[in-house]
Amino acid sequence: MKKLLLNPFENTSETKLLFFGLALTAAGSYLAYLFNGRYDGVIDLHFTGTVTLLQPFLDNLINIACLASALFLTGKLINKKTRFIDILNPVLIARVPFYLLTLTNFNSFISDITESLLEKIDLKNMPTDIDIAPSSVLMLTLFSLLAIICIIWFVILLYNGFKIAANSKTSLHKVYFALSILAAEIISGIAISLLNY
Amino acid sequence: MTPKLPIHCPSCSDSLSVSQLKCENCQTTVSGHYSLPFYLQLSEEEQNFILQFFLTSGSLKEMAVQMGNSYPTVRNKLDDIIEKIKKLKSENP
Repeated sequence: MKKLLLNPFENTSETKLLFFGLALTAAGSYLAYLFNGRYDGVIDLHFTGTVTLLQPFLDNLINIACLASALFLTGKLINKKTRFIDILNPVLIARVPFYLLTLTNFNSFISDITESLLEKIDLKNMPTDIDIAPSSVLMLTLFSLLAIICIIWFVILLYNGFKIAANSKTSLHKVYFALSILAAEIISGIAISLLNY
Repeated sequence: MTPKLPIHCPSCSDSLSVSQLKCENCQTTVSGHYSLPFYLQLSEEEQNFILQFFLTSGSLKEMAVQMGNSYPTVRNKLDDIIEKIKKLKSENP
């Protein structure tokens, strides 16, 4: 079970991984539509008022394309035998934690809390004391913890897949991997905001 | 049970070499200093991997199916063994 959740790439064939990866991407995009989530970057998830069906699908397409390209180039730099399919599969599967995180906005639960909080904050006249219900603080804290766990899970899945795809071993390879994620995050963020669909 | 051929010294972990060979038929013994062939300097797991690679006519895809591993896992194992043999070759030309 631990292997399935953290490193399914060691024993599962690429065809099976691709099938599940695509199915989970479609399901995750639909979940974001249902729960008003936008994946507006490789490691981003934001809840907004209304989301069209097309938006999360395009978000995922851009995020997957950016991350897979960045990691594939890095993988080729580390090991010439790196195949695109072996990079694409972890990129698809590693996004599952973000898809699960959309469930927290059931019935606009999280977006209602954050919106009511933002309404109380006046940027021009910053209050010294904001009146927030303790239950809202608790919920936001729990959500933050869950979001951190999901990001860690995402990185573990992605790294385990990348490690196998590129046969990466050294600490320098880990630095390349981290830089690739950062580059993909910046490029995807800019692309999504520029395209503004 | 077939005894495992020791390839490393149990005392200092350095590589072992052959110092005596014996004919089981006439009991003639030959003494000398012979280093182990590269294949025998690999671990049992690595030797089995090479044997399986040979038996599948070098098809990594078929090996991956037989071993229940993904293709890149099997390819990485092969690359690691190649690297190890290259290192052994450069150490003992």
